[in-house]
Amino acid sequence: MNQTRREMLEKCVALGAVTLATSASLSAIARAWDTAEAKRQPTPFCELGPFYKRDAPHVSVLRAPGDPGMPLSVAGIVYSVNGEILPNAKLEIWQTDNFGHYDNAGYRFRTTIQPDPKSNYGFESVLPGHYPARVCQHVHYLVTAPGHKPLTTQLYFASDPVFDGDPDKNFSRDPLITSRELVRPVMLKGDPQQMVAAVTFDIVLEKA
Amino acid sequence: MPTKPMLSSSILLLLVVSLAQPAASSGMKPAATVPLPCESQNQLISPAGDQVAVSCSDHTLRLVDAGSGNTKHTFGPQPRITAYDYSRDGRWFAVGLRDGTVEVASTSGAAEDKRWKSDTHGIHDLKFLPDSSGIVVGSLDRPGQIWDLRGTPKQLAILHSDFAGLIHCSFSPDGKLLVTADGDTVIRFYDAATWKILHEYRGLALETFAVAFTTDGKRVLIGGPDDRITVLDPATGAELEKLPKEADVVWRILPFGNDGQARIFYFDGDGKRPDHESIWNVNTAKSVPLSAERPFTGSGIVGGKLWLSSANGKVLDIWVYE
Repeated sequence: MNQTRREMLEKCVALGAVTLATSASLSAIARAWDTAEAKRQPTPFCELGPFYKRDAPHVSVLRAPGDPGMPLSVAGIVYSVNGEILPNAKLEIWQTDNFGHYDNAGYRFRTTIQPDPKSNYGFESVLPGHYPARVCQHVHYLVTAPGHKPLTTQLYFASDPVFDGDPDKNFSRDPLITSRELVRPVMLKGDPQQMVAAVTFDIVLEKA
Repeated sequence: MPTKPMLSSSILLLLVVSLAQPAASSGMKPAATVPLPCESQNQLISPAGDQVAVSCSDHTLRLVDAGSGNTKHTFGPQPRITAYDYSRDGRWFAVGLRDGTVEVASTSGAAEDKRWKSDTHGIHDLKFLPDSSGIVVGSLDRPGQIWDLRGTPKQLAILHSDFAGLIHCSFSPDGKLLVTADGDTVIRFYDAATWKILHEYRGLALETFAVAFTTDGKRVLIGGPDDRITVLDPATGAELEKLPKEADVVWRILPFGNDGQARIFYFDGDGKRPDHESIWNVNTAKSVPLSAERPFTGSGIVGGKLWLSSANGKVLDIWVYE
């Protein structure tokens, strides 16, 4: 990436498209450019509860054969705000089943996930249900990593009927949604017999 | 803050004792009927029983004199009020707002309001220090904060949490201990003079929603989505016993009297069954349902006794539980 950036800069400078008002080398400028672009906004906070339960098992497949509900596949990468990957992060994730029920007695639809060496995480579940005390379907996250502030947040789905197809306009129908950014696009994958709702949800942690 | 127009004196409080009130469960003695300035689903009776904090359907919260029915103070409606409480002596009232603002008012109007922004995304619990010199501000995103109310409010201390915030807290009757139920599932006991942690209880995997000292200060009751009350020893932080399991989630505990009694509020986590309540006797580990023809919508501890209220339109009936 640095090389590509530097080559691009060299070309731009040669053609007059970029003027350097600094004595720094092109390599240093290219590195600074890369760093600036890599910076990420921290994932917005959303409240922890209810029904967090610690010590959830390390599983990536939360749905069991025969579980009702639209199959859900969530994937993402855990970063710091500097753009570094955080493979040592720990994600604790919990949600209701398709009927809006939390398993407080056991650990159904609860998991603890360690990202892979490239900081990728993912899990297979079902779209959570609605329940009376909450407006929208959601998945809870508690993400921790050494040297970073713990993050509690929630993942929402642009396909949620509550949004009437327009989450930009209607995301505040759920007063707990602190940011439109938490409402993620849903991509339907697979053949009509085995459709899966796929969602990407990257996590960005602030430094402690 | 502007107050709502006063009610006509001719319809003011029909104080005390009307056996014609809607019947509550046995053991209820009618105490008062108070005209309300609004329709209300939630009330808090002041420690002296002379005032009621009325949460109105227009999202305001009004301090209503129980003798005259007059509104003494109005809070809100925006930003939305998310927590409120009286000081132990009833002289002060605090509200917490969704944007993290705290307002403290003199219930007699004798002092100017204090209003400041705490460092939170929204307030979930407020508790005055027992001598009213400060207040605990609890939120779901930050550890609890202790604010000094003498003069301009300033932050005195930040409590601890491994992550997340403070869900609920309670001071011991002698004011020397603070116990907190934190979002990280830990119950913490603090010295209320130094704010140092004395003990921790990490025996629950689920969050605790409600925590309270018994009136003799010898036990701490905690409850949450494990559908039961766990009894802790405040001297050591250790678990003493678990009371028998109920069907639903415990979300509030209100000890009263001198015999180990506590009013326990339950809700169905799935939202299918209505909220309900029981009176537990912690000494005997037995409970009786608390019910009435009309649901109770408010309460308070007045002189050690449990007072219960039920709003019916713009009228509030109050009973003493005996």
